[in-house]
Amino acid sequence: MASENQWVIASALVASLFLSFGIARTKAGRDFAAILQNSGSWIVLLIPVAGLAIGLALHEEHFALMMLATVLIYALACIGLTIQFGYAGVINFAGIAFFGIGGYTAAVLGGMGLPSLLVLLAGGLVSAAIGCILILPVLRTKGHYAALITIAFVLLFRSFLEVNHTLGGPQGLRVESATIAGQSLFTGIRIGSFEASFYLNYVLLALVLLAIFFLMARFLEKSWIGINLDSMREDPVGAAVFGVNVAYWRIMSFVIGNVLIGIAGATFAMMQTFIAPSNFTFQQSLLMLAIVVLGGIGNLWAVIPAAILVVVVPEKLQAISEYRFLVFAILVVLVLRFRPNGLFPRSMRNFRKEVGQ
Amino acid sequence: MLWSRGIAVAALTAIATLSGLTLTHAQQKETARIAFLGPLTGGNSATGLGGRNSARLAVDSRNADPDRRYDYELVPLDDECLPNVGIQAATRAATDRSVVAGVTHFCSAVAIATVDVYNRFELPVVVWGAILPAITHGNDYPEVHRVNGSMLDESKVLVEFLTGLGYKRWAVIHDTTDYGTGYLAILREKLAGSDVEILSTFGVAADQQDFSAELLRVKEIDPQIVVFAGLTPLGVRVRSQMDRLGVRSQFAGISGIMSVSYHDALGSLSEGTISVHNSAPLETLPGGQMFVDEYAKAGFAEPPEPYGPYAFVATNLIIEAIEEVGANREAVRDWLNTVENRNSIAGPITFDEHGHNSVASTKYVAQDGRWVRWEDSLYAAGERMLSGR
Repeated sequence: MASENQWVIASALVASLFLSFGIARTKAGRDFAAILQNSGSWIVLLIPVAGLAIGLALHEEHFALMMLATVLIYALACIGLTIQFGYAGVINFAGIAFFGIGGYTAAVLGGMGLPSLLVLLAGGLVSAAIGCILILPVLRTKGHYAALITIAFVLLFRSFLEVNHTLGGPQGLRVESATIAGQSLFTGIRIGSFEASFYLNYVLLALVLLAIFFLMARFLEKSWIGINLDSMREDPVGAAVFGVNVAYWRIMSFVIGNVLIGIAGATFAMMQTFIAPSNFTFQQSLLMLAIVVLGGIGNLWAVIPAAILVVVVPEKLQAISEYRFLVFAILVVLVLRFRPNGLFPRSMRNFRKEVGQ
Repeated sequence: MLWSRGIAVAALTAIATLSGLTLTHAQQKETARIAFLGPLTGGNSATGLGGRNSARLAVDSRNADPDRRYDYELVPLDDECLPNVGIQAATRAATDRSVVAGVTHFCSAVAIATVDVYNRFELPVVVWGAILPAITHGNDYPEVHRVNGSMLDESKVLVEFLTGLGYKRWAVIHDTTDYGTGYLAILREKLAGSDVEILSTFGVAADQQDFSAELLRVKEIDPQIVVFAGLTPLGVRVRSQMDRLGVRSQFAGISGIMSVSYHDALGSLSEGTISVHNSAPLETLPGGQMFVDEYAKAGFAEPPEPYGPYAFVATNLIIEAIEEVGANREAVRDWLNTVENRNSIAGPITFDEHGHNSVASTKYVAQDGRWVRWEDSLYAAGERMLSGR
């Protein structure tokens, strides 16, 4: 923080925006995007490799590592939203509620001494199970009406938490930090003279989860299921005529997406070790959705730079205090003005190549 | 000859330059950084900005003192009154080793969420606005202190004040955060065994906009007084809708509504609102007039708000600690833990074994667009009347 120069931050911001626009406009940029999109599964290794390199370079910086882990966790949640919104066209404004369900599951089960990886999985499953309450109304409505149902859910979720004293009421709950293979993630890695912040553990955990679910979502996108989802999103009636079970795939995408969001929420709660209802406001849900929209709806790779933009930029603008959200809002408006489909729009499906793979 | 004169001039110049450098080096002081955390954006930003300005005033005043040991720098961070953002900002401050101590939080929900962070990274902090008792009493962290009292101090005075005015039939509207809910629990505890009857309580979300359902019920049960436990933005909405729906009961709020923005938002509707606060009017505090004058001289765009003096006191305490024991977190923490009867503009400060400073709360009433101490008001003099009595 001491060494942070606001001019450096502003320059970095402008440079990254130009880079984003450059990638989308230049041939080299388009080629790079095509490589990311069309290469084999090995390309996903870029995520853990790059993440690990950054993590190791910052291994003593608690705060920077915490922000890196937060970006990765939000990116994971947004992969869930991409499956729902970007692939299947199921609008979910309650992302933060499912994130919170995962977090509260971690708070409750973590205190019971269950293995942390099981708690993470439970976070996803409970999130999906509670999400099933919404399936019927979401299936029976579409467009704005479906959006309204999920908005109502996020508002109800917060009110429910605030009056539920078993779950800590408005004051919230402490959450046990994760323990994997008998090693608390709140103990920093120490090998010889190498000493790392304990947040590096959470970066590694988030990287593993992100890489696994990124790969899974990529398989989903490139499989016949992805084609079903695309067709259903573009023209549900036409898809149904061709034998796609629209209701089934809408439910599946909603459930799978919520599992991912719940796992992300459980990981985040374990890292922060505290969870409270006031974290789960509708505004937070919009921020999560903003990551998907800003990145480019349906583009898995885009959630990572967009998560950086939404999570890191407001934090880096702390020095301008009350004006930081004004600057952030102007930035978002400018991006959407000049790139209405997001920074990195999803490219057209190259069906022949995909079949060839 | 010329050579030797040239060499002499060069030598003298070099000596002068070196002496100058040495002198400049001696004059340069090490910088001690103090973090300020509060809501700088959002509905509670008026209080947060007033607190930040007050903390900055303390820093700037000390920097103007030539005899100081250190240069001081304030690092303001926005917690947005959200626990997750608060944890993020607290981690940012606590993991920056150049930050010696922190002046932290107005919102109780954030303050309670961040105490673990300060303890984990051993950053001594002094809370300037949050009043939930558990912040200091719910843990045994030596890093956490509070200058502004708690809702225990405040609620005691509120109950005595309102019962003394003859209000026996209450309705309580509280926000469902730990602030409002915690206050309700304390009110119930303090009213147990008294002849005051709480006719009904209404929990409302902190961002709720419409209170028709609650207020129509209040109108039906017709209490003498509506006691509101929440923050200014919500209090403004409740009070204005009371008027719209014709609820004529007296309105009282806890210190969360005591902000200049309450009058700005409500205009003449704020008149007669009762409140209590852990701070006395600035002019009556031991160094209050000096604070008012210096604050005005500094030309801040925002008013200090009632909690501003506590941010000033908290910052000054930290500065005094650094001056005495040096810019070292552990030493500052230990110094703070021994604070007893330390003079400040808000009166003497003593941290008990929990790091908590108890204060005597003051009764207020809104009069002509200002918060006026009850004893000095036209209401106490009988020239104006409260409702519901």
